[in-house]
Amino acid sequence: MIKKIAKRLATVAVAAVMVQNVASAETLEVGILLPSPIADVGWSHALVAGMDAVKAKHGDKVNFNVVENIQEGPDADRIMNKMVGDGAEFLLLGSFGYMNGGLKLAKRNPERSFVHASGYKVADNFSPFTAKYYEGAYLMGMAAADLTKTKKLGVVSAFAIPELISTINGFTLGARSVDPEITVDVIWINSWFDPAKAQDSAKALLANGADILFSNAQDTPSVVSVGEENGAYVFNLNSSMKEYAPTKYLGVVKTDWAPFFVASVDAHLAGNFEGANQWLGMQDDVVVVEDWSDDISAEMKDKIKAKQDEIASGAVHVYDGPLTNQAGEEVVAAGSRLEDGAILGIDWHVEGINSPLPK
Amino acid sequence: MSTLEFFLAGTLSAATVFLLAALGELVVEKSGLLNLGVEGMMAVSAAVGFVVTFETGSHIWGFALAGLSGVVISMVFAVVAITFLANQVATGLAVGIMGLGLSALIGREYESRTITSPADLVIPYLSDLPLLGPVLFQQNIVVYLTFLLAVVIGYTLTHTRLGLAIRSVGEQPSAAHALGFPVYLIRYATVAFGGLLAGFAGAYASTIYTPLWADGMIAGRGWIAVALVVFGTWKTGRVAFGALLFGMISLGELIAQSMGARIPSQLLSSLPYIVTIIVLAMISTNKARMKLHAPFSLGEVYDGSEGR
Repeated sequence: MIKKIAKRLATVAVAAVMVQNVASAETLEVGILLPSPIADVGWSHALVAGMDAVKAKHGDKVNFNVVENIQEGPDADRIMNKMVGDGAEFLLLGSFGYMNGGLKLAKRNPERSFVHASGYKVADNFSPFTAKYYEGAYLMGMAAADLTKTKKLGVVSAFAIPELISTINGFTLGARSVDPEITVDVIWINSWFDPAKAQDSAKALLANGADILFSNAQDTPSVVSVGEENGAYVFNLNSSMKEYAPTKYLGVVKTDWAPFFVASVDAHLAGNFEGANQWLGMQDDVVVVEDWSDDISAEMKDKIKAKQDEIASGAVHVYDGPLTNQAGEEVVAAGSRLEDGAILGIDWHVEGINSPLPK
Repeated sequence: MSTLEFFLAGTLSAATVFLLAALGELVVEKSGLLNLGVEGMMAVSAAVGFVVTFETGSHIWGFALAGLSGVVISMVFAVVAITFLANQVATGLAVGIMGLGLSALIGREYESRTITSPADLVIPYLSDLPLLGPVLFQQNIVVYLTFLLAVVIGYTLTHTRLGLAIRSVGEQPSAAHALGFPVYLIRYATVAFGGLLAGFAGAYASTIYTPLWADGMIAGRGWIAVALVVFGTWKTGRVAFGALLFGMISLGELIAQSMGARIPSQLLSSLPYIVTIIVLAMISTNKARMKLHAPFSLGEVYDGSEGR
């Protein structure tokens, strides 16, 4: 038994030495730090799937060091420092809370490149990236309007931060562009991670009359499976959960990070990586809407497709005026458009959302 | 299902998670031990219960092995705290943290998978009653059994010789020893029982209440269970009442939001904890009453070899 263990340790040691050798031979070491476990679905899964495209393009020339399920905080700082110490030249930091530690590290290591999810701080070698989820959510709203009978839509949402608020607004605007009588209920569970609470929230929304559910930034299929069980159409963000709701899946607002990651790694390899706020949407092929339910009418599908093309081409913007807030006051006048900065920091709900916004 | 029906029926099923774990911890504390590892035991058994149910398709096996895993983890606590006389708070915390890590490891390959929960046990005729029917007579069998168990435990602790033995061990272990009670044995047994119920609570959470596995899904419910025991001043009926109250508050928060209540959701989210603090403060103002119900030797190390 001890012999066996010793043997195994020896193999590991040899393997480690080999990895070191390979590393020195012109391989790009990539460090990937993720806030949740890489499951078959969800946020971390979508990030890794994007990096797989980098692997597919560069093959053995890139070597990934993936560390998953790391809480935001000192532990994350320690691990990203170690990644750099181990020779990582390109780092993907997969959570908002890695921002300050990551930025410090980037400033100390100007020759290395960093991409950081959901943040807003920028440096020459540090690019935050966010998806314009609201673009896809708008189309989902149109589909929901086509299928709802109660004209009540429900949203289970994590925290009231701009990224999530703007997505709910987009969803509502899309639904009400089809049927202005539609209203939206939102439950904030104030947690990224509490599947039980998410499921109870979904059931509460259904009990209150909603017949379409939006799982906003919930990484597990909690809400999606409640939809299937109770016969309510449901959609979510980041990666498809159709297998959890085979008959009631409305679709997914998917994030395909591959184009952005490939471009960033290529830029790093070419030596011209430039830190910038990367706010990516349909135009960039990052926000992709797919797995549409077959129950959506053909007529609505055509309308959605047309709207999708208009948004992707930039002809139409989700936050085109006139826009009214919950209190019924006009915030954006007809003919003008809400600025990017205002969307990135949005702290108000559009008309049609019943629930107050926690401040 | 109307919102009111959902609220009342949901309260019972939400309370079951708290009550199962709290009943176990109650028995443990009655015997004079403080096991703070409930959260970790629940996490491990939630993972085990989910994996077993996922692989075998049998909820019964899931519950059985989850209960067993709860017992195994609780024995780590028992050996260190009872036999090796270690500080119970530190040991419980360590076991709890170990359990959280272990659960992530066990559930690694099953992250975000789902299973179907078993059908509710619908009691014929009674379930047709308006309001009361769906609330009281259309629940999962585990819900019925848990509330039945509360009655059994309450009776056992107060009216039987076994209950007397457990209580005397918790009040004054050296006196209990002198009377001929096997102090260590009784304490091992209560800890194992606590582990078993924490295991069932975990399995209920991951296979019936929220039939999916996700790392960290117990999300503090084990801690609420520990708080409930104090909340209920070590009395079974009050612990059950507390569990219902907590179920009601945690669900009421979500329903209030869905109905568009103009209350900040952050405040609603923290309500269960605020209520705990208020009640604990209220209870402890009356020191005499607190002392009357708390096991006298709770949390104290008992070295059985000294008296011999």
